[in-house]
Amino acid sequence: MLELKHPVSKLIFWGSFALLASFIFFPLFWMLSTSFKPQGELFERLPSLLPRNFTLANYSKALTRGSLPRYLLNSFVAAGGSALFTTITACYAAFSFAKYRYWGRAPLMYLLISARMFPLALILVALFPMFGRIGLTNTYLGLILAYVVLALPAATYILYSYFVQIPSDLMEAARVDGASEMRILHTIIVPLALPALVTVALYGFIWGWNDLLFSLTLVTSESMRTIGPGLLFTYLGEFAIDWGGAMAASVITSLPIVVVFMALQRFFVQGLTAGAVKS
Amino acid sequence: MHKSAKTAEFELTNVTPKVASRLRGSVQRKQSRFGISLVIPALLLFTLVIFYPFVRAIASAFYEDTLFLPQPMFTGLGNFRDILQSPQLINTWLRTLIFVVGSTALTLFLGLVWAVILNQPWRGNAVLRSLSLLPWILPSTVVAFLWAWLFNAQYGVINALLLRLNLIQAPVAWLSNSSGAMAAVIIAKTWATIPFFMAFFLAALQTVPKAQTEAARVDGATDLTVLRFVVLPHLRYTTVILAVLGAVNSLQHFDIIYAMTEGGPVRATTVLSLEVFKQAFQNWNMGLASAIGVVWLVTIAVPAFFYMRTIFQPHS
Repeated sequence: MLELKHPVSKLIFWGSFALLASFIFFPLFWMLSTSFKPQGELFERLPSLLPRNFTLANYSKALTRGSLPRYLLNSFVAAGGSALFTTITACYAAFSFAKYRYWGRAPLMYLLISARMFPLALILVALFPMFGRIGLTNTYLGLILAYVVLALPAATYILYSYFVQIPSDLMEAARVDGASEMRILHTIIVPLALPALVTVALYGFIWGWNDLLFSLTLVTSESMRTIGPGLLFTYLGEFAIDWGGAMAASVITSLPIVVVFMALQRFFVQGLTAGAVKS
Repeated sequence: MHKSAKTAEFELTNVTPKVASRLRGSVQRKQSRFGISLVIPALLLFTLVIFYPFVRAIASAFYEDTLFLPQPMFTGLGNFRDILQSPQLINTWLRTLIFVVGSTALTLFLGLVWAVILNQPWRGNAVLRSLSLLPWILPSTVVAFLWAWLFNAQYGVINALLLRLNLIQAPVAWLSNSSGAMAAVIIAKTWATIPFFMAFFLAALQTVPKAQTEAARVDGATDLTVLRFVVLPHLRYTTVILAVLGAVNSLQHFDIIYAMTEGGPVRATTVLSLEVFKQAFQNWNMGLASAIGVVWLVTIAVPAFFYMRTIFQPHS
């Protein structure tokens, strides 16, 4: 912690604060402000900070152009499904890596956790025809499968670093009392790891909600489109982009994830940064 | 474990040790079997959706596979020869390097500064901490839209600001000239990643031992010396992790660049991820796309190796 006694260090501190705070927050403010401006106020050389004539027209336009409600629903199903499956599979795998010993455990764990570094677009080159052949393109299941595997490596690592900290004596005591391995996992470990599980579920949801690459490739039908490509196809490629509508649609698609995140973020930061701090 | 088994053999009569060790063995086998069964769902998914396609894609790098061929044709290293002979792809590789180094370095620096600022005890910093995570969770298309609007040539607020400050005389068409577009995507990516880095740095800052900073204060150290000689050395491990993780993520990155510029103007922001995507899904040249992907894979392998080594090294 700094003391900031010297006026120069005070100046440097508050100067960097002002610069960085405006870099981080001004764009967010501008998104909101633009979304409430009437068409005419957008096309000014020196725009005003706040809308002079506050309007909701951009929002009603955004909801009717393209099929934003449909994209939101698709994203919700795909991201939600992925969050659920990611949490369950990662929980089992991470628990196994942390608390059991068997042949091939370490290499398997390294392979699984390093999978986030396999070039994604390269995987898609083969995944796309494969999904096409077994009928998984343009389906929720296809998207969910793709998202689960994307979030799985990081999720497994987060849960692994949580589970190794749980003392094995706890499990040993339960075993002496005659509890089965399955029972130990579900009644002792899972409740203990709840914050980490919430983190991982949220992580999986964010992955799915924010994705562009996979749904751009694995979804070709308009009715199955998620918000990423949905927004892109609705607003880009026009002669003059409707920036008011684009910003309003951006606010609408960001809102659900912002609300969920704000409610759960305390667990999230703790879980995410576990293992990256030397203590 | 070996030792305890031996002492047990000495202590017990000649029948029980066999029974005891067989019992212990069967319990352990049972636990191992349970452990293995827990991994199976993850392993199945991994094999089906990542590993198998991954191997298939690498294999197809050695085939000529375009829309005009009825069947993929084995060409050996033909695709790689094409890559090495085309200056375009070498330029793509260099552009990727600029994007990765630029965005990672900028994010590291700004993320660290922001974390140091938010680590100060002043009123309202808890609120700022959670608010500054927002850019990271916005959908990537939203981030791209937002920055395209901020960088807009005619009505963008960045041009308005620079004009007002007399830093430029006429509006700059950021996204339609090559260095402007590269700068814009680097800044957008940096903006979206700062919160993630900041969270890690902040967590590390909170473990800086108070005794050390206080001891330095007693010795008359100024803010700068405390920062330089006590706090920063403590962050070394986190910085290394973030640098390699950031490099891997930037090398993987596709979404913001594609939604902001589609790799343009011309090819100015076409990095390896976009090149593979374009070759595969716009030109339908799967063989060449895979070969570029292999070059990309080798590039990622360097930071990925360091990342894996660092996180699984026993902390010293």
